Amino acid sequence: MYDFTYHRPESLAQAIELVSAKCEAKLLAGGMSLLPALKLRLARYSDLVDLKAVSALEGGRREGDKLIIGAMTKHAAVAASEVVRQAIPALAVLAGGIGDPLVRNRGTIGGSIANADPAADYPSSVLGLGATVITNKRQIAGDEFFTGLFETALQAGEIITAVHFPIPLCAGYAKLLHPASRFALVGIFVAKTNAGVRVAVTGAGSSVFRFADAEEALNADFSPAALDQISVDADGLNSDIHASAEYRAHAIVVFAKRAVASALSR
Amino acid sequence: MHRAATSTRIGQPVPRKEDMRLITGKGRYADDLNLDGQAYAAMVRSPHAHATIRSIDTKAALAVPGVLSVLSGFDFLADRLSPIPNKTFSVHPAEMPLINTDGTPAFNIPDYPLPVDKVRFVGEAVAMVIADSIAAAKDGAEQVVIDYEPLPNVTFTVDAAAPDAPRVRDEHSSNVCIDAQAGDAELTEIAFRKAAHIAKIKTWIPRVAGSPMEPRAAVGEYDPQTGRYTIYTCSGQTLRLRRDLAIVLNVPETNVRLVIRDVGGNFGTRGAIFAEQPLVAWAARRVGRPVKWTSERSEVLVSDYQGRDLAVEAELAVDKDGNFLAMRGSNVGNLGSHTGNFSMVQKGLEIMSSIYRMPAAHFRARAVLSHTAPTRPYRSSGRPEVIYVMERLIDTVAHQAGFDRVELRLRNLVSQSELPYKNPFGMVYDSGDYIGVMKRAVELGDWNGFAARKAEARKRGRCRGIGVANYVDTATGIPREKAKLTVYPNGCVDVVIGTVSNGQGHETSFAQLINEWLGVPFDMVRLITGDTDVVDVGGGTHSGRGMRLGSIVIWHASNKIIEKGKQVVGLLLQKSPSEIGFADGQFTAQGGPVMSLAEVAAAMNARTDLPQELRGPLLAECDETVNDAGFPYGCHVCEVEIDPEMGFVEIVRHTTVDDVGKAVNPLIIHGQTHGGIAQGVGQALLEHCFYDASTGQLLAGSFMDYAMPRADILPFFTTEISEVPSTTHPLGMRPAGEGGTTPALGVVINAIVDALSEFGVTHMEMPATPERIWRAIRGKPQRSRIVPDSIEQEISLR
Amino acid sequence: MPLIGRRSWAARQLGFSEFREDTASPLERAANVAQGMHMPIVSMTVNGALRSAEVEGRTLLVQFLRDYLHLTGTHVGCDTSQCGACTVHVDGVAIKSCTALAVAFDGAVVTTIEGLQDGERLHPMQQAFHENHGLQCGFCTPGMIMSAIDMVRRCGHDLDEHTIRRQLDGNLCRCTGYHNIVLAIRSGAAAMRPR
Repeated sequence: MYDFTYHRPESLAQAIELVSAKCEAKLLAGGMSLLPALKLRLARYSDLVDLKAVSALEGGRREGDKLIIGAMTKHAAVAASEVVRQAIPALAVLAGGIGDPLVRNRGTIGGSIANADPAADYPSSVLGLGATVITNKRQIAGDEFFTGLFETALQAGEIITAVHFPIPLCAGYAKLLHPASRFALVGIFVAKTNAGVRVAVTGAGSSVFRFADAEEALNADFSPAALDQISVDADGLNSDIHASAEYRAHAIVVFAKRAVASALSR
Repeated sequence: MHRAATSTRIGQPVPRKEDMRLITGKGRYADDLNLDGQAYAAMVRSPHAHATIRSIDTKAALAVPGVLSVLSGFDFLADRLSPIPNKTFSVHPAEMPLINTDGTPAFNIPDYPLPVDKVRFVGEAVAMVIADSIAAAKDGAEQVVIDYEPLPNVTFTVDAAAPDAPRVRDEHSSNVCIDAQAGDAELTEIAFRKAAHIAKIKTWIPRVAGSPMEPRAAVGEYDPQTGRYTIYTCSGQTLRLRRDLAIVLNVPETNVRLVIRDVGGNFGTRGAIFAEQPLVAWAARRVGRPVKWTSERSEVLVSDYQGRDLAVEAELAVDKDGNFLAMRGSNVGNLGSHTGNFSMVQKGLEIMSSIYRMPAAHFRARAVLSHTAPTRPYRSSGRPEVIYVMERLIDTVAHQAGFDRVELRLRNLVSQSELPYKNPFGMVYDSGDYIGVMKRAVELGDWNGFAARKAEARKRGRCRGIGVANYVDTATGIPREKAKLTVYPNGCVDVVIGTVSNGQGHETSFAQLINEWLGVPFDMVRLITGDTDVVDVGGGTHSGRGMRLGSIVIWHASNKIIEKGKQVVGLLLQKSPSEIGFADGQFTAQGGPVMSLAEVAAAMNARTDLPQELRGPLLAECDETVNDAGFPYGCHVCEVEIDPEMGFVEIVRHTTVDDVGKAVNPLIIHGQTHGGIAQGVGQALLEHCFYDASTGQLLAGSFMDYAMPRADILPFFTTEISEVPSTTHPLGMRPAGEGGTTPALGVVINAIVDALSEFGVTHMEMPATPERIWRAIRGKPQRSRIVPDSIEQEISLR
Repeated sequence: MPLIGRRSWAARQLGFSEFREDTASPLERAANVAQGMHMPIVSMTVNGALRSAEVEGRTLLVQFLRDYLHLTGTHVGCDTSQCGACTVHVDGVAIKSCTALAVAFDGAVVTTIEGLQDGERLHPMQQAFHENHGLQCGFCTPGMIMSAIDMVRRCGHDLDEHTIRRQLDGNLCRCTGYHNIVLAIRSGAAAMRPR
């Protein structure tokens, strides 16, 4: 790890000031992706601005038809939260399947979506539920947030403060587990909302994406069988030593069905 | 649950002594040691699979604050140090010798710990930076500028054997270091002509990483006053490692002290000297401070010795009744970049016919260099590979000809009356009840109830399969071992021995021996190992030799203690030693106890009226060379369920019966079996050191990509111990450390193929990943993307 | 997309090769150091005692424990947060101390494997690992035990096999095949039940 100067502001304002003052500063949330990258010397920053003491960013609540989760809320807290389990049980399932229990004790929702790892679980829920990402500057629609591989719409000095998840009629998450890293080789978030069905796919492309064919079929008939005739073109999907594009293409459909079945079982 | 121990004698499942420090955080692993004033080393590793080193520029690195020194192979040569010797063959007299068919000597070349001419695998250490802190050392390592000229590389086993493959060593005309034959070609040819059925297999047992949980580490120290080096490290060796270190450091062996304390796993891949061990010692001399090096996991994965990697093409000939007639084929083992150890085609051939009656066999065996990390024996070296091949051949011929898989095996197993049995490679199996053990495993695994379980699984949409595999293991290793026992007047006993525990629990099981033979309380036995200032003879721990040889030398030494004690008691009681008995720690006369072992030790220490040879500490030594091999054997039954939609496989039952001859500590033996199974299952389903054929890069270079078995992929195992005494061991013992792994590859793959047979699947390559299974079910090429393309090509191995 | 592993893939996206030959110039490095990345002082309560040390910003919690406090029971088995050998409790919750900055835990209460015993008496989970032969080489064991205790915190005292295996996702063992570890956790969890 290259050395850096560590900061632990206690307010959002201080954090913004610190991260804006240095061009090579980086925000640190749970650190579950950032610290391994730093340890492997894959990245280098002059300053790390740790958000752990900014208590306003942690915790969640239901507000009407929205579930609001603070950016620094840990995966374990989301997984165990009665409020989340009542409002969007699939989100609790998703959070409870990220990494491993020790990672979930540290990793945060804000960190996960800001990092925009193409194989991370959370981005699928942001896109699949049509969530809104709240920052210190603005509100960003889920559909606009993820712009590419490890890339988001966030600007320099912009900090995610919370994610607003609209509460769907029902939702499900199903994941093809990476055998080593526990990331998603393929993860599918399906949500049935008053505005229609949304299906988001993580792990299979350079960034999370929506699965339009499935959405259309599920809008007509929200059941696993509705996807029987759907197939996915492997072209352009991720391919690595653990799963070829072809297998991922197959898994997208299978796990979409499993996510639908999970949504219907609640 | 475990049966509770009722005493601490032989045969009891005694919980381990060493646990007390290990569960409280007081273990003493290599990286736990910190010496005053120590500096830290970081290695600069090759990014290329094969390249000429044009120059190494250390100026920038030396400018990094905290950096003390930057050393390369040129400095190593300038200091007149020597390359690491390789001992390619086991020369154990029980082992099958391998000789080049054309009569030329096998190619063997020592390796420099830091190369000066070329790099030969990604991750090879090229330079070493020593600094005040590990962070500074790593900062410095990044500033070492090495000018490489990349060269073509070859990583895959079969490709490396080709005459036109990029060569790893300019000193040799090809990458083939040995090209030998074993068995009888003529007899085999005749037998094949008589065959009613011939099964064929062409397969590759991929390379895996031993992956002990403790990353490699070494701390070196140099005393300029005495010219003596001390090296603290993790290893399965002591004296052979000291010898190798002395060779490299170019000093007499007495100028090297080696200290091995707790070792966080070995499994063979930590059994030989590794480059960083002599390097830290040398660095300590150069900088005048102790130097510590600890690898990170990603370094471990690229630069540890790796295991397996054998390409096999084999055939089995069977008559119309199912009697095995002969087998033939060709094995090509991948040595990686060093001529380190040919075990994969020596041990990995000599028991290829397993414990079946095999009238004839003929194989070609080659070991080849490639631009990959060096390989070494890994958990049961060579045997899991060839047992897998044999067991696949049997299932294949059963499938082809319609034989029942269990009956076919039972028909061909060597019966007790045929033992000792000489196999077609010349190995002589000692004793055992091969048929009885297989029948017991099949019963314990409820083979007969399988059909009902399969039908039930089908209702859940799952394909269930069952497999069975027998195995035998040749346990040899360094044949010489020594124990020294000292009884103290307070009743304590010290055992100094040349084995090293890497987690096998020697402190416990060896204490059980002393408790049994000398009646000394278990807690009063202290085991001393791993320090060459105390241990002067012994071969470490590998090839099932710890208890196998340890028990012999401790037994003989214990008997010498008793004999000495009888003489002392006889003198003190004015009786003949023949009138003195010994039981439960007490010397007896006329049926009653007269003196305890401790009292005898006290008398010998205190009394001046004893003859000279009976004065002083009560101690005895036994230094023995055991030229017999051990042949543990057994049978595994495995059941799997497969989700045909995605190809997920779940091991739902795994049953083993392993014959260990005589069990000293069943708790430890079952534990060895459990861990062995998991390593076998890991290879069968998950693990693979994947080298990208185009770049020579190891793509599974961290635990993010190298898939280790986790708790959730394994079931509880049903393990049973059989005890048919070995006739090659005076106490009847067979090794018990490798039985879990040896048949595991074969039995798991057999079960998977059985589950998939309804789809017409007849074979699965390893690792049998969900994608591969999914492809097999759909009749797609299995090997796509996972195995180098060349295995698909029709390269004749024969 | 080329056929590559996850880590190397991520590395390439970030513009690095797996084994980099060069990054910043030595002058840059020296300048960084000279600029005085100041050395923070970190204090935390470790196994009941307040401990302080001057560390670098980049010092990991596990380095602080092992190298500064000489609590070498906490081990480092990997560099990517998979193996869990470094598991410790921070403010009552199990975390991987190899993926945590020491400075971030200034003021925290930390328990390591060395702090579990009550005087001479083993913690029930330690006792259970011993009795069930839940360890061989022992290297993963401190992390396993710390993780198992946290599992009881999260999932209760009545743990079934399935739960234990799933919840053990963050800890790797190479020796035991997990069989006896699962048995140990089941019995240790029950033994931890307040009487």
